[in-house]
Amino acid sequence: MDTLFGITGKDFVITAYDSKAVASITLMKIGEDKSRELNSHSIMLFSGEPGDGVHFSEYIERNVKLYGIRNGIELSPKAVASFARRELADSLRSRKPYSVNLLIGGYDVKTNKPSLYWLDHLASSAEVPFAAHGYGAYYCLSLLDRYHREDITEEEGVKLLQKCIQELRSRMILNMPDFVAKVVNKDGIRIVQL
Amino acid sequence: MFSTYPGQAVIDHPVSAPIEHRFDPYVDNGGTLLSIAGNDFCVVAADTRQSEGYSINSRYVPKSVKLSDKTVISMGGCYADCLTLTKRIQQSMEWYHHAHGKVMSTAAVAQMLSIMLYQKRFFPFYSWCILGGLDEEGKGAVYTYDPVGSYERETCRCAGSASSLIQPFLDNQINFKNQESRQRTLTKDEVLRITKDSFTSATERDIYTGDYLEIFVITNTGVEVQKIDLKKD
Amino acid sequence: MDSLVAKYSNSASTSFDTEDSLNNNSGGWDAASQFALPSFDIPLVANPVDFLRAHTDPSAENRIRIQHGTTTLAFKFQGGIVVAVDSRASGGSYIASQTVKKVIEINPYLLGTMAGGAADCQYWERELGRRCRLYELRNKERISVAAASKILSNMVYDYKGMGLSMGTMITGWDKTGPQLFYVDSDGSRLRGEKFSVGSGSTFAYGVLDTGYDYNLSVPDAIELGRRAIYHATHRDAYSGGSINIFHVKESGWSFEGNYDVGALHWEYQALPKGPIA
Repeated sequence: MDTLFGITGKDFVITAYDSKAVASITLMKIGEDKSRELNSHSIMLFSGEPGDGVHFSEYIERNVKLYGIRNGIELSPKAVASFARRELADSLRSRKPYSVNLLIGGYDVKTNKPSLYWLDHLASSAEVPFAAHGYGAYYCLSLLDRYHREDITEEEGVKLLQKCIQELRSRMILNMPDFVAKVVNKDGIRIVQL
Repeated sequence: MFSTYPGQAVIDHPVSAPIEHRFDPYVDNGGTLLSIAGNDFCVVAADTRQSEGYSINSRYVPKSVKLSDKTVISMGGCYADCLTLTKRIQQSMEWYHHAHGKVMSTAAVAQMLSIMLYQKRFFPFYSWCILGGLDEEGKGAVYTYDPVGSYERETCRCAGSASSLIQPFLDNQINFKNQESRQRTLTKDEVLRITKDSFTSATERDIYTGDYLEIFVITNTGVEVQKIDLKKD
Repeated sequence: MDSLVAKYSNSASTSFDTEDSLNNNSGGWDAASQFALPSFDIPLVANPVDFLRAHTDPSAENRIRIQHGTTTLAFKFQGGIVVAVDSRASGGSYIASQTVKKVIEINPYLLGTMAGGAADCQYWERELGRRCRLYELRNKERISVAAASKILSNMVYDYKGMGLSMGTMITGWDKTGPQLFYVDSDGSRLRGEKFSVGSGSTFAYGVLDTGYDYNLSVPDAIELGRRAIYHATHRDAYSGGSINIFHVKESGWSFEGNYDVGALHWEYQALPKGPIA
């Protein structure tokens, strides 16, 4: 099962996903992208039912981008999260619901505030300082509770993420390969080396 | 509400519970069919018994239908589905004839049948189809299908209730599987002999196979039909 | 030409209405228009998915056996892509066929492999071939493998949860070079270097991963593919028959032979296994 992480700091959000793609008991691929960049300052990470994640996040991505093109102004992370939550909630009441867990990280360029939204497959949504999905959450939420501060720097954020991944590697029976981390700050989205 | 006999419990309001009907529109009517492609001919054969469980509905219900001078279809499984499917094929072939002014080729019928079966992917026809005929070059062609339309051209195939008895025999006698002897092409008479042996033997061991054997022989001069007695017990 | 293209290019997502788009040609009957759109009959029951499941279940009285079981593999290497597959189809424990063509030739430069439901793979990869041809006519250039595989993925994703079963690899050579994608009926679509799909895939992976090197020569790569499938047919009862091998090159794909597993077994038995590198 996939593991996703998100940590906010003073002026950034750092997100990370394990890059495994699995079919039944076989590891099909390492290096699969489990994120989509919704606009210049917000990113969505997904896990859950195979296929649903890509389809749902690409659907949200295109609509968020369309909004930006039509109105000449990008949606804020909060608006993006609200939109995604509503779409997921509507889908939940349709014949074939999407079954996806999401993390939405963003940096609001108007208020200069980072934010992180945790959404589950039943379309619960919460703004949180840090978050995790999947089995990794059982190991790392306590660790994040212990070390996370609101004012951590990007450097500290990366270190905290490394601690989380180290814990998974030493305790989880599943083989945890490379995580991919992406940071959102005032300059946009970029990959960071762990 | 009144009690109709002494001691009967009186229920003064109707009890309603949702009644669940299981929708089970399939029955296996048994029977065996077979087709073998030769160099310049094709043999399509099937027994004519129709059964339901342990009872025999009829001793003569043909499973094969001539579709054109070059194509014969044979079907087993649920007879109702086979009837519908045969009619649909015949109608489409007729429309094709009117629209294009030519008879549909065996290869075209084969592709069409695949799509027709797949269109019922979520409500399948319970039918085993074998299409026999001659291709554009006049060579024998056998196309076989699963119930949802996967198809393949082969040289010989048996389907239906005695398929697991006959198919290994055909593999050995037609395709020379597990034989040291060199492969060779069989003559029409040899193929007919093997066909008859297949069915007389299957009749001995399969309760759903028997009564009559109807053989369609397709050559470039047309389709010839033979009816042969099988045991009727 | 555009009107012709428009006529035959409706999308799969509106596939449940059989009426409106089929009967609108008032002229003669036209086979192409009748079969142009994927449209499917659905049983009139509360839950069509349960209906299909009940009748394809191994415990069903009159079971509709859909052919299953496979080993397929494909991998990229310096000389392009090797695709190797077995040829067995089984319905339950009965071997329905030993001569199945599990590599589907979508067009002269695109190949698809077949694992899972034989009919599902054949039908949807044929439909993919049709859409790729329409793309060519509209855009006057060949479709990329990425786009083709996405079309297939999107088509089957529309039917997710309805019982389709398909695990396929789409390969080919486009402007960006050799490309390999894994697409399945769950909606997964993965770009990759090396895949194996089917009931025998774990066995094939064992041999393939161990013997793989990107710099393999063409004959060595073909031999690796053949060997991996052979070992899978040896261990997996649902795989067998013969091995078909294809090589994808810049000029398109080429068929590299059919090898009966029965004969191949004794060939390999006579060969020394060699040192462990």
